Amino acid sequence: MYARNGLPMTLEHDLDDVLPLSPTAFHVLVAMANGPRHGYAIAQEVESLTDGRIVMGPGTLYGSLQRMVASSLIEEAENPGEEGLHAGRRRYYQMTPLGSAALRAESERLLRAVNVAQERLGT
Amino acid sequence: MSAHTPQSPKRDRLRRVYQWLLALYPHDFRALYESDLLQAFDDRRSEARFSGTLGGFRLLLFLARDFVTAVPMARTSQNERRGVEGIMHDILRDLRFSVRMLVKNPAFTAAAVITLALGIGMNAATFSTVHSLLLRPLPGAEAPDRLVQLYREWPGIEFGANSPPHYQDVRDRSGDFLTDVASWYFEPISVASDGRSERTMSVVVSANFFQTYGVRPQLGRAFTPGVEDRDPGAHPVAIISDGFWHARFAGDPGIIGQTVRINGHTFEIVGVTPPDFGGPMSLARPPVYLPLMMANVLSPGFDRLASRGNNFMNVVGRMGDDVDLERVQDGMSVVLAQLLEELPESYEGQLGHTVVLQSEAGIHPSFGNAQTGMSSIMMAVVGLLLLIACVNVANLFLARARDRQKEMGIRLSMGAGRGRIIQQLLTESVLFSVLAGVAGLGMAQVATRALSAFQPPIDGPWAFGVEMDGTVLAFTFAVSIMAGLVFGMAPALQAARPDTAAAVKNGGAKKPGGSRASRGLVVAQVALSLLLLVSSGLFLRALQAATAIDPGFEEPASLAMASVDPRLQGYDEAQAQEFWDRTLEDVQALPEVRSVGLTLTAPLSLGSSDRSVDVPGYEFAEGERQSLHYTYVSEGYLEAMGIELVEGRIFTRSDDAEGPPVMVINQRFADRFWPGESALGKTVNTAGRSWEVVGVVETVKYQSLGEEPTEFMYFPYRILFRSDMILVARTSGDPQVVLQRVQEIVRGADPDMPLYDVRSMEDHMGVALLPARLGGSVLGIFGLLGLTLAAVGIYGVMAYSVAQRKRELGIRVALGADRALVLRLVLTEGMRLALIGTVIGLAAAFGVTRFMEGMLYDVEALDPVAFTVVPLVLIGVAALAVFLPARRAARVDPIGALKSE
Repeated sequence: MYARNGLPMTLEHDLDDVLPLSPTAFHVLVAMANGPRHGYAIAQEVESLTDGRIVMGPGTLYGSLQRMVASSLIEEAENPGEEGLHAGRRRYYQMTPLGSAALRAESERLLRAVNVAQERLGT
Repeated sequence: MSAHTPQSPKRDRLRRVYQWLLALYPHDFRALYESDLLQAFDDRRSEARFSGTLGGFRLLLFLARDFVTAVPMARTSQNERRGVEGIMHDILRDLRFSVRMLVKNPAFTAAAVITLALGIGMNAATFSTVHSLLLRPLPGAEAPDRLVQLYREWPGIEFGANSPPHYQDVRDRSGDFLTDVASWYFEPISVASDGRSERTMSVVVSANFFQTYGVRPQLGRAFTPGVEDRDPGAHPVAIISDGFWHARFAGDPGIIGQTVRINGHTFEIVGVTPPDFGGPMSLARPPVYLPLMMANVLSPGFDRLASRGNNFMNVVGRMGDDVDLERVQDGMSVVLAQLLEELPESYEGQLGHTVVLQSEAGIHPSFGNAQTGMSSIMMAVVGLLLLIACVNVANLFLARARDRQKEMGIRLSMGAGRGRIIQQLLTESVLFSVLAGVAGLGMAQVATRALSAFQPPIDGPWAFGVEMDGTVLAFTFAVSIMAGLVFGMAPALQAARPDTAAAVKNGGAKKPGGSRASRGLVVAQVALSLLLLVSSGLFLRALQAATAIDPGFEEPASLAMASVDPRLQGYDEAQAQEFWDRTLEDVQALPEVRSVGLTLTAPLSLGSSDRSVDVPGYEFAEGERQSLHYTYVSEGYLEAMGIELVEGRIFTRSDDAEGPPVMVINQRFADRFWPGESALGKTVNTAGRSWEVVGVVETVKYQSLGEEPTEFMYFPYRILFRSDMILVARTSGDPQVVLQRVQEIVRGADPDMPLYDVRSMEDHMGVALLPARLGGSVLGIFGLLGLTLAAVGIYGVMAYSVAQRKRELGIRVALGADRALVLRLVLTEGMRLALIGTVIGLAAAFGVTRFMEGMLYDVEALDPVAFTVVPLVLIGVAALAVFLPARRAARVDPIGALKSE
C-alpha cells in the first residue's frame, strides 16, 4: 500500500487536499520543523523567516493554527516543560506526519519552480 | 492571567479592551483559545516596538488589522474561508491602495477634500445652529418635553402675556393636569458689588421656577415655594447663574450668603445655577434670578403684582403623567370659564389660552413660521451647496476614472470582477468623504465658535449658545458617507461599464463632448448653482429694499439716543421727574442740539407695547384688532424726530397731570376711526381714562421697516409717568459729540446713573435690519461659495473634455478645419450644456422662491433683477470656463496631438 515518495496511500490522498500550502501554512510548518513550538514562538519565527512580511496577530495566529489542526497538518504537543515566562501554561504544537509530508512536497515543488526560473533568467 | 506583572495602568486598560473585543470571535474559538490569545497579546505588548505610548498606538493598529482578517476567518467554516478571507483581504488592500493614491496626487486630494469639506462643514455648522436654537430641548431642564408654555389669547393676539394675579389663579386651579406652573419675565437691573456697578438683565421668577424646570442649583438652594412666593418685598434673595458667578465672583466657593446691591437694594445670594442650565429661553443666558415677590422693589412707584390686566409674564407648566396637550387645553378652558364667571370684567375679552409645547416653541412661538421657514431655507441652501460640492468632486473622480480607464480595462480583461473594481473605487470615495468629513467638522467648529461669540447689537444677555453635540456629529458622519456614495457611484459605474474592455484597444478615444455622465454633471452643476444664487440674490435684494425704505422720520444719521432709568438708582417719581426736567434743559442748551425729547419706546425696536382701546361711535367687528400700539413721549420728541404734524398741535410742557388728558394720534389711526372727518376733539377711551385727540401726525414706521401702516398713539409722559425713558436729540453735526455731552450731563447729575443704548439712530436701526443683514450676509457667503464651486466645476469638466478631444480636434485641424471653427465647435458644445442647466435651474428657482415670499420685505419672489443678473453672471462664468480650454484646443499642434496617442 505504498505509492511514490514512500508514503502510505491514504496520506497521498490527503496530500491532494492540503496542497498547495498557503504561504502562511508553509512558514508555520517550517517554524516547527525542528520540534514543538508554542504559539508566540511560531509567530516570531514566521516573522523572521519572511523578513517581516508575514506578521501574525493573535487572532490570525490561532485562527491559522486551528485550521491546520483541523486539516491534520499539525497537532497539539505535550508541554516540554521549558523554562521561561508562563512556559508551563503555553499550548505547544508539532507537525503530524501529514504536515511533514506536505512541507516536503511543497518545498520540492517550490525548489523545482525556483530552478526552472533561475535557469531561464540565466542566474 | 491576572497575575501578570508588572503592568502599567495604561497597558492594563488596553488589555481589558482587547479582552472585551474578543467577544467578536465565535464562542467555540474563544473557549478554546482565549487564554492563548491574551498570552499572545502580552507577548506582543512586551516587544520593544509595541511598548510605550507610541507603541500602544502601533499595537492598536496591529490588533485592528488582526481582527479584520481573523474574525471572518474564525467565523466561517473551512469551505468558504477563501471567499470571506479574500474579501477582507481585498478591502484592506483597497484601503492601502487608496491611501497611496491620495498621497500620490496631492493636488487632486486637496481639491477634492477641500471642496467636500466646505460642503460638509457648512452643513454641520448650519445644522448645529438650527439644532441649538430650534430643535434641541431646553438644555439643563429635566424632561423638557413635558413643559408647556401658556399664553392668554385675545382678539388679534395669539400669544398674549400673563399678569401675576392671572398666573396665580392658573397655578392654583390647574393641579389636575399640571404638576407645576411657573412664571418669569426679563427685567433690566443694575447690580453693584465691591463698588462696581453694571447694568444687566435679570429674570424675575415665581418661587417654584427651578422646581418646575427640574433644575437643582449647583450651590446653595432654589427659591422656596410657600415662603418666597408670599409677602411682597419681604425676601431680598437672589440666585446667580454659573457664568455670572465665574465672571463676577471668580467662582468663589463661599458666595452663598454674600450680598449684592440690586437697583439700590441689598439682596442675599442664596444659590448658583448649574452650568448646563442657561435660562428659560434658548437665546439668552440671564445672569441673575430674583423672586417675583420682589417685583415692586425693583420698580418702585408702580404695583406690578396687583393688576389682573397688566400682562407681562411668561407662564410655563409641567404636564402631569399621562397628560397630553389636549388635556391641558381642555383643563385651561375650564379654568377660564371659572374665572370668567367670578371676574366677568377682567375676562370678558379673552378668547382662551394658547398652549404650546416648550419643545415646539423655538425662540418664541410668535416667530413660528418665520423661524422654521428661515431655518429650512438655510438647510436647503447648505444642502444645495453640498450637492454642488459633490457634483464637483464626482466630476474630479469621473475625470480620473477616465484616466484610469486603461488600467481598469486591463484589470477587467485579466478577469477582475466588475464588482471588485466598483468596490475599489467606492472604497476610495468613501475614504475621501470621511477625510473631508473630519476636515469639514473642523471648519464647522470654527464657524460655530464665531457664531457663539457673536453679540447682537442689543443690550442684554443674548447668547446664541451654538454648540456641536452628538447629534451634529452623527449628522455630519451620515452626510459624509452619503456624499461619498453619491459622488463615488457615478464614476464607479462608469469605470466598470462592460464596454470598458474596448478602451484597452483604442486607447481611450472619446465621443465628442465627453461622456453622458460628465455632460449630465455640467448641467446639474449649472442648475444647482443657479438655484442657490437666485435664492441668495433674492435675500440680498430684500436687504437692499429694506434699507431703502423710508422710516418716515428725517435723517436718522443726525439723531442721537440714550436710555436712562433713574428708577434703577432708587429714585422715586418726583425725583425722577426732576432729573429728567433738568437733563432735558441741559441737553437742549447744547449748541449742537436742535431739539430734544423723551420716548418710552424707540422706533424700530424689536419690542412693542399695545393697549386695548374703545372709540365712542365706532363698533369693532368680531375679531377686529382692538389693541393698538402706543408710546409715552415728552414735548419736543415729535419735533426732534422730524415727524410732521398734519393737523392740531403737538404736546407742550403744560400737558401734565394737572391738565386734561390729551393724546396725539397718527394719520392711519384717524383714517380708520374717523374716515373723512377731522379727528381733532374726538375721544378715545383707554388706560382707564377718556383722552381727547389734540393732534394728528404722519404715519411712520414703528416696529420694523417692512411693516404695513399701523395705527399709533402718543401719550404725554407728564400724565402717564414712566422713569425709564429714551432721550432722543436732533443734532446739527456729528451725533457722537452730542452723545458724549449727554453722558457728561447725566454723570454730572448722578455719577452712578447707569446709561445704556447710547448710539445714533442709524446704529439703532441696524438692529431692526439685523435679521435681513444676517441672512443676507450668510446667504451672500453661501452664494459666493456656490459660484466659486460652480465656476471651478464647469471649468474642470470643460477643460477635461477638451483635453480628451485633443486627438479629434488635431485631426480636424490637420484636415484643414479653420481654427475659428474648432473654437466655435467647442464653445457651442459647452454653452449648450450651460444653457440647458440654466433653464432647469430657473424653473427650479421659480418654484422654490415662491415659498420664500413671506420672508422678503418688499421683493417679489419673481424679482427681475435676481432672475436676470444671476443667470447672466453664471452664463458668463460658464462662457469663460469654456473659452479658455477651447482656445487651447484651437491652438492644438495637429502633428503633436496625433503623435501623442
